Amino acid sequence: MDFFTIYLPIAGIHFNVLILLLIGFTVGVCGGFFGIGGAWIVTPALNIFGFPMPYAIGTDLAHIGGKSIVSTMRHGKFGNVDVRLGVAMILGTTVGMELGANLVLLLERAGLAETVIRKAYIVFLALIGSYVMYDYLSHRRAQRRAMVEGAAPPSDATFAHRLQRIRIPPMIHFAASGITCSAWLPLLVGLFTGIVASVLGVGGGFIRMPALIYLVGCPTAVAVGTDLFEVMITGAYGAFTYGVKGRVELLAAMWMLLAAAVGAQLGTVAVKYVRGYSIRLLFAITIFVAAGSVLLKQLEFQLASSITILAAGIGISAVIIARLVKGVMDERAGRHHSASGRAQGG
Amino acid sequence: MRRNSRWTRVPKPLPRGLLRSVSLTIAGVWLGATQALAAGGGKPESTLVNVADTRQLSPGVGRWIANVYNENLWLYGLTVVIVMVGMGVTLGLLADRVVRMLGINLGRIAHHE
Repeated sequence: MDFFTIYLPIAGIHFNVLILLLIGFTVGVCGGFFGIGGAWIVTPALNIFGFPMPYAIGTDLAHIGGKSIVSTMRHGKFGNVDVRLGVAMILGTTVGMELGANLVLLLERAGLAETVIRKAYIVFLALIGSYVMYDYLSHRRAQRRAMVEGAAPPSDATFAHRLQRIRIPPMIHFAASGITCSAWLPLLVGLFTGIVASVLGVGGGFIRMPALIYLVGCPTAVAVGTDLFEVMITGAYGAFTYGVKGRVELLAAMWMLLAAAVGAQLGTVAVKYVRGYSIRLLFAITIFVAAGSVLLKQLEFQLASSITILAAGIGISAVIIARLVKGVMDERAGRHHSASGRAQGG
Repeated sequence: MRRNSRWTRVPKPLPRGLLRSVSLTIAGVWLGATQALAAGGGKPESTLVNVADTRQLSPGVGRWIANVYNENLWLYGLTVVIVMVGMGVTLGLLADRVVRMLGINLGRIAHHE
């Protein structure tokens, strides 16, 4: 195994390249599929294998910037990136992040930051996971009822549609998402997700993705692509700011990005073969595992928490790749079938 | 007379034990502070010196990265962004080709919920 061990001069440690590739690939697949940065997988994973925490965070942010470019390019070609919407969200998120940082300072002064933030994190993850799971289950139930009883298919009238009907000028049409709403809607949703992300100390991809679906009303695939567009910009900024502070291990980030690029491409292409609601189901499961991992951390089972999140990341990546392989095989079989049908007809 | 005696009273000398403990405390604080500063715990982070150990590195990418890091952190921050963006774009285009070669249709997709 010594053959795969390299010296990382900035963090001042020896590290196994295979671990870097495994972590990169795992987070690449999950990131491309869910539209998240995946810092909550990478940072603890690097840390349990001996990376000092500040370098783990900086290196993670640097490779997220590069990896998100790969996913955003692919999602862009699929028509899943709504740049207008992404820019509006970024404006709100930036202000929200600043407000959130001030809120953290207030909590710190009151001596509540550590306990309140971690508990809020667990509650928030559990709430998001439960809502997404509830939405998935009720959609499935409505679909089944429609099939059995011949009732009307599940209604599209959601909370997001009600928010879209609030007509406060200027009204904007977001072509890729196929929605028209007040410019204030994405700005305020961005502001809200920015505050929450900043208080919880995370990039916010796992908050923005469901917010884009349930509050703005984006189709799931566009929510994934647009979120990645934001992650790409915040990742690049994070890479720069941590780089200037000397907390990015560039050599490690490059190795991780090599595998993450492959994983991101696979995860992104998998979105093509999976229905929106199935993405939501897998997302809900991932969020529940993340909540469990943070809970373990709160109970001071640090190692168990990190292993849980890494194992879950690997497991979910395997499921995503299995869905991709099945989708590609079905597509090929369909193509073959239609070609032979044409040949018989001719 | 009584008032006068109050003004001319000679202060009692401090007990030896108290003097010793005060001087020990001052020495302890000073020592602790210098140790903390040496360990990087006492002053703002900006005054810390970031140095990458290049002694174990042979010429190559690792050495080049370490040298940029040691010379200028702003340049290093910029290098991180340029390398990550450059690698991201290149690998993205390369992966696109590979996926296309596998026969996967990479055109626009319809959004199925």
